[in-house]
Amino acid sequence: MAFLEIDGLKKRFGSVEILKGINVELEKGGFLVLVGPSGCGKSTLLNTIAGLEQITEGEIRVDGRAINDLHPSKRDIAMVFQSYALYPNMTVAGNIAFGMEMRGVPAAERQAAIDKVAKILQIGHLLQRKPSQLSGGQRQRVAMGRALVRDPKLFLFDEPLSNLDAKLRVDMRIEIKRLHATTGTTIVYVTHDQIEAMTLATKIAVMRDGEVQQFGTPAEIYNNPTNIFVADFMGSPAMNLIPAKIDGNGSGLSVVLDRESRQPIVLPMPGAPAGLAAFKDKQVIFGVRPEALTDPEGAERNGSEIATADCHIEVVEPAGSDTFAVTNLGGKGVVARLRADARIQPGTSTPLAFNLSKAVFFDPATEKRIL
Amino acid sequence: MSAITSPARQASSGMHARTINRIVIYGLLALFAIFYLMPLFVMLVTSFKTMDEIQNGNMLSLPHAPTFAPWVKAWSEVCSGLTCVGMKGYFWNSIKMVVPAVLISTLLGALNGYVLTKWRFRGHTLVFAMMLFACFIPFQSVLLPMATILGSLGRFGVTLQNATGFNFGLGNSTVNLVFVHVVYGLGFTTLFFRNYYEAFPTELIKAAQVDGASFFQIFRRIMLPNSLPIIVVTVIYQFTNIWNDFLFASAYAGSGDVMPMTVALNNVVNTSTGVVEYNVNMAAAMIAALPTLIVYVVAGRYFVRGLMAGAVKG
Repeated sequence: MAFLEIDGLKKRFGSVEILKGINVELEKGGFLVLVGPSGCGKSTLLNTIAGLEQITEGEIRVDGRAINDLHPSKRDIAMVFQSYALYPNMTVAGNIAFGMEMRGVPAAERQAAIDKVAKILQIGHLLQRKPSQLSGGQRQRVAMGRALVRDPKLFLFDEPLSNLDAKLRVDMRIEIKRLHATTGTTIVYVTHDQIEAMTLATKIAVMRDGEVQQFGTPAEIYNNPTNIFVADFMGSPAMNLIPAKIDGNGSGLSVVLDRESRQPIVLPMPGAPAGLAAFKDKQVIFGVRPEALTDPEGAERNGSEIATADCHIEVVEPAGSDTFAVTNLGGKGVVARLRADARIQPGTSTPLAFNLSKAVFFDPATEKRIL
Repeated sequence: MSAITSPARQASSGMHARTINRIVIYGLLALFAIFYLMPLFVMLVTSFKTMDEIQNGNMLSLPHAPTFAPWVKAWSEVCSGLTCVGMKGYFWNSIKMVVPAVLISTLLGALNGYVLTKWRFRGHTLVFAMMLFACFIPFQSVLLPMATILGSLGRFGVTLQNATGFNFGLGNSTVNLVFVHVVYGLGFTTLFFRNYYEAFPTELIKAAQVDGASFFQIFRRIMLPNSLPIIVVTVIYQFTNIWNDFLFASAYAGSGDVMPMTVALNNVVNTSTGVVEYNVNMAAAMIAALPTLIVYVVAGRYFVRGLMAGAVKG
């Protein structure tokens, strides 16, 4: 039995269904990230776990106990809000201790808990300041301190890093990950940033329009997306989704990628998924991540299914650690990820290696993965 | 004459125009300031003059021999109607009315604003619209119905007095005025607080809920301490209105020793026995105006600021 279980959860506002039957579970000490574009219902789902929104149907269980009818304060959860929601009229120490004060914890005990948390988060020197006197990163720490001090069963984070600048966001991301590793708490985390999702999570739920599109480990989500939406949403730069045709000649199947003025590229697919045979002579969406489309020298040496084809390079983007090259296949701009020192010129043709063992196929009609 | 105006000349003519603009603007401002301050000035200087000086001298001139006698007389001797005990009793009547009325209406307004923005219920906009209606009702139209209600409350007070030996203040003129001012101030105080709390971050209330704070704990510990600007606005507004009110005061406490300051002042000025003592009248009027002046001077800074905050976020 999982530690957090969300079972057939539905949420309606009047006749509008915001959450359409969510089933998610998380082991103790796990880190669940709810990710999706804005308006997908991820924050609503978090609010229902917190008890700030009532649910219409289904059940939420923590440690085997149904909590969906309990008041937020009785659920043994702590929450970090996007705006940090620090009480402006109280000092940092007052903010951290407010929850304990409400539960009638004696002053001496409160002070000990504040000191302990202040030490973990290194905010000891800030305890007597007001939130308005803190920087963004310090407020973020205090908000986490207020959650940590409760020692709850479950931590909820609602886009906690989206108000920070880029550098601080990376620092705090590492800090959260370290905190999770050292304290072993169970966390549910909402974000629209897929990099945060990939780096932090032990489990990811990708959501769209109130439905979980895919639920799994970061590696599963990244390597085996169940549909076009997940494939496109996760990963940066995004997966190349190229319209293609499946050709069959005798022994095996091959993928045909159209090019505007030149001969189409034909890639033989000896290890094609079983379902692909049904799409012989039909259109599919061929998905290949930029790192699976690279210069032949940079390609995995022991990759079993490497196919090389000459491609016309339209744009080159050196990014320091890598060089991205854009070519046109099947009428779409396709991004290849090359080594930083790859010698490549825009407007020329260069051989690119397709790592076909990493390629995935989608049915253009249903947008589902072809397995 | 050159066809091209030199840049230097352009700049100097621009400066010139700006100076003239400044003079016109400040001149007008000064004119209006004098216009509004003149009566206050006349009241002040007159209240420190002797009657001889008033009758023979210039209205605007400063007193030759300043005297506090008119103030002392206004405070403790002046006649209001037939009783000649000064303004002090009526001054305290007003204080006893205005303090509870301001505190209660402000607190209830804050509570209403809190519920109307953070604990929304079905039909909350309708309730708010109806409360706003209280701001537009002409007070003359409620004089008679309110008199009937106060009469019933008074009779209920007598019943309570007979049953328990204590009337709980029902039927007392000051209590009646507090009640009336709370009821008719509620529309305004609710409007102020609702607009202020509309822009108050809801995440703070959510965080406090997760922290285990109750409805009233959130109100007392989170909302009120962060509402200082709007509390100041509401207190100034209510204090000035209630202190200066003449209509309700004269209708429900218009005679005897229960009169508030405004009614008493009117009676003092209208009492005609012999010479009109302008200096005493002016001193009495100054005493009547002083509390609102003090409130403005002390908290006026917040008044403008808070009024703006409420206005833009509406």
